[in-house]
This record gives sequence, C-alpha cells and structure tokens, in this order.
Amino acid sequence: MKKSIFTLALALVALVASAQIKKPALMVVPSDVWCISNGYYTEVENMGITTKMPNYKQALQENMGLKLAIAKINDLMAEREFPLESLEQMIKNLEQQHMEDNMTTSKAGNELAESPLDEVARVAKCDIILELSWEVKDFGPKHSISYILEARDAYTAKSIGAAAGTGAQSFSADVDVLLEEAIVANMDNFNNRLLDHFTEMQTIGREISIDIKVFANNAAGIDLETEFGDDELIDVIENWLQLNTVQGRFTMPYASENIANFTQVRIPVYDERGRAIDANGFAKSLAKFLKKEPYNIPAKVLVKGLGRAVIILGEK
Amino acid sequence: MKKYLLPLLAVVMCLAGCRAVRQKKADKDTTQFRYEIECGGNAIQGTYLVKVWTYSKTASVAENQCRKNAIHGVIFKGYGGGQGCVSQRPMANQPGIENQYKDYFDQFFANGGEFQKYASIMEGTTEIVKVGREYKVGVVVSVRKDDLRKALEAAGILKKLNSGF
Repeated sequence: MKKSIFTLALALVALVASAQIKKPALMVVPSDVWCISNGYYTEVENMGITTKMPNYKQALQENMGLKLAIAKINDLMAEREFPLESLEQMIKNLEQQHMEDNMTTSKAGNELAESPLDEVARVAKCDIILELSWEVKDFGPKHSISYILEARDAYTAKSIGAAAGTGAQSFSADVDVLLEEAIVANMDNFNNRLLDHFTEMQTIGREISIDIKVFANNAAGIDLETEFGDDELIDVIENWLQLNTVQGRFTMPYASENIANFTQVRIPVYDERGRAIDANGFAKSLAKFLKKEPYNIPAKVLVKGLGRAVIILGEK
Repeated sequence: MKKYLLPLLAVVMCLAGCRAVRQKKADKDTTQFRYEIECGGNAIQGTYLVKVWTYSKTASVAENQCRKNAIHGVIFKGYGGGQGCVSQRPMANQPGIENQYKDYFDQFFANGGEFQKYASIMEGTTEIVKVGREYKVGVVVSVRKDDLRKALEAAGILKKLNSGF
C-alpha cells in the first residue's frame, strides 16, 4: 500500500513538473537609433540602396555606458528570478556559426535574408528582445537623461511594452549615474508590462504568421482551390489550423487560389515534449500533414525569422 | 489619598480611551483612502520615496499614520510622476484584490502589524497644514518595495514575474 502511494505521489510530482513551461528567454540589445546616432553601424548596399545596420559588437567593445546599462538591467531582472541572455555571448556564438557556415556548402534556393537583430534573436533563441536607448540632454550647466526600454516579441516584432521617461536634471551627476537611476526607477513598470504579456502568452499562446503559396505550374497540379471531397485545399488548411492553434485563434486577411496569408496565429508556446515551438516548427507540422494521404502534396517550408514562415505547395 | 486616586484613574482611562478613538478614526481614514500620495524623490535601489499627506484632527496621529498610508498607497494606489520622478503603477493592479484578501490585509495593517517592517519616516520632512478643523500632515516615507513585493508574492497575493514557467 505504502509503495503504491509513493509511486502515485511521484507520478503526480512528475505531472506537475511537466505541466510547467520553460521561462521565455530575454536579451537586452541597444536600439538601432542608439547604435546609429552613436556611430556603431556598418553601411550595407542592397539593390542600390545604402542601409545602416547596427554593429552590436563594436558598441559593446567601445561603449562602457552600454555595458553598465545591460549589467544593471540584468541585475534587476535576476533579482526578480529572471536572468537575461548575454548579447556578448550571443555575438560570439554567431561568429562561430558564421565560420561554420562559410565552410559548408549551402543548399541552393533557400536564402535567408535576416537583419542583425533577427540573426541574434534566432541564434539566441530569444523570445523577447529588450531594446535600449538613451540620450543625454543638456540644459545650460545641467543635464538629464531620456531613457527608453522597449520589449519586443522576437516572433512578431510587436511591441509588448515600454518604460520611458526623462530623469531629473542634475549639475553634478555623471551620465552613468543618471542612466543607472533611470533604469532603477523604470524597471518596475516595465516588469509589470512583461508580467501582463506572460499571462496573455500562457493563456492564448504565442503569435506567429504563416503565408501559404503555390508553385506555378507545379508537378502535383494543385492550387488552394483544388477539391478534396467536399472541401477545397484552403478549407483543409483552415480546419487544421482550427484544431492546432490555441483556442482556434487565427485570422486569414487574404486568400486567393495561389496565396493565403494567416496572421495572429496563436500557437502553443511549447510542444508536448517541452520544446519551444516557433513558426518554422509549426509550419513543418502543417507541411507534414499535407504530405500524408489523402492529400499527398509536397511542400517547401522557408524560414523567415522566429515568427514567420512561408509554405510553398506543389513541389519540394 | 484615596479620594484623589479615583478621579486620577478616571482621567487616565479617559485619556487612553480618547487616544484609542483617535487611532481608530485614523485607521478608518486610511481604509477610506483619506490620504494623498505623491513621489518623494529618486530612491536607492529596492525602495520608493513617497510623500504621503494624511488627514487627522490631531497632527501627531496623522504623522503616525503616514507609514501605514504609504504602504497602502504603494500597494493599492500607485502614484504620479513629474519633475524627474517616474510614476509607478500600484503593486496590486487587479481590481477587488483588497477585498479578496481582506483578512490578510486587516492583519497586515493592524497597529503594530507587519506593514511597519517596510516603511520608515525620513526625519525632518514633516509638513503640517491646517485645513478647516483638521490637519493635513505631509511626511516623506521610504518604502522597501522589493521586500514588500516579495512578502506579498510569498503570501500568494501578487504573481511572481516567473510564475507559470
């Protein structure tokens, strides 16, 4: 009897533990505007247009204020039992990955076009990016600091919340002290917004978007209006999404015979094995479903960051 | 000697009774939000500096009540910013939470209750203004908000940032 009670208790503990989901990963990065206004950027020419891309490595190597700000935010988040991912470490991992990529021949036709921020988020497997910027303002002999800390969902790039404000004017305090004061004063409001977001995510899932396209003149001879029994292919996809999204939440703002866009698709945060699901993983599940009987549709899944995937039907 | 003892005892009892009545009135004023709270300046990490204006017919009672009001304000009211101060949302921002945990908060805010651990009056900051038949007493109070939040989280009143994960 005692043995079975013990086994039952152990099973209950395991069940409770498995029901808990992993903490979202957070990372502080300097905002684009801060990097560019402080000269930490590289110019990239793309189709004749010159674009300024933030250079995080240079910013971390040359700006002590940035390191101090990140350390302070990390300290305050650790105090709330929520330590952050390190941007510096992520950059090292990214460099390692670039080195490995350069030595590997890539598959043709599946190019990744990512901004430095997308790249960092993907390698860090970050759920939330905290974008930090500040500016020193002078009022005669006094100066004060304007500070913005904005949280963005790495999956959708949507803003979760921000803490912003201008600190008190000071004759004597240096910029680092003013920055620290601003971070300490704003962190509680910021964490309240994060808590609201986490509560929402636990209730209605993580938001992604999926685009479905069809290869022109594909070998399978299908488009989104191809009929399977009483349903067209677009209805089959909608029914699958209805079953596999949290509370059946998604919207389809546009659909034609060749293209369908699904936005505000709420997917479970983690799968049954506790692994984080991103848009790519979710889209692959849909592609696998379409590949099976009775549909037998080959599909190609393209990665477009953590929160967006494109499925092209008809060929691999 | 005996003839003085009885009136003296009556006077002492009356004084003690009056004091208790004043305290009870002040407690009632707190629960009815008869106080104002504003930012008292930039504080060190882990604390808020708030200025609390408490109303009472007796200035000394109002001054005593300031700590209780400061904690009450930080938990349930929050305060506005301006002039370099950052506004803060109330710690407990779910509506009706004070009534939901009434027993806990009655004990917490009782005279000599746990609230005392989280607030200290900043010496030399008291301002007294006579408003009609009562006093409005302003005191800057330092609230140990991190410790206060942890206590409320431990009691299950506030959600932890990592709750559910």
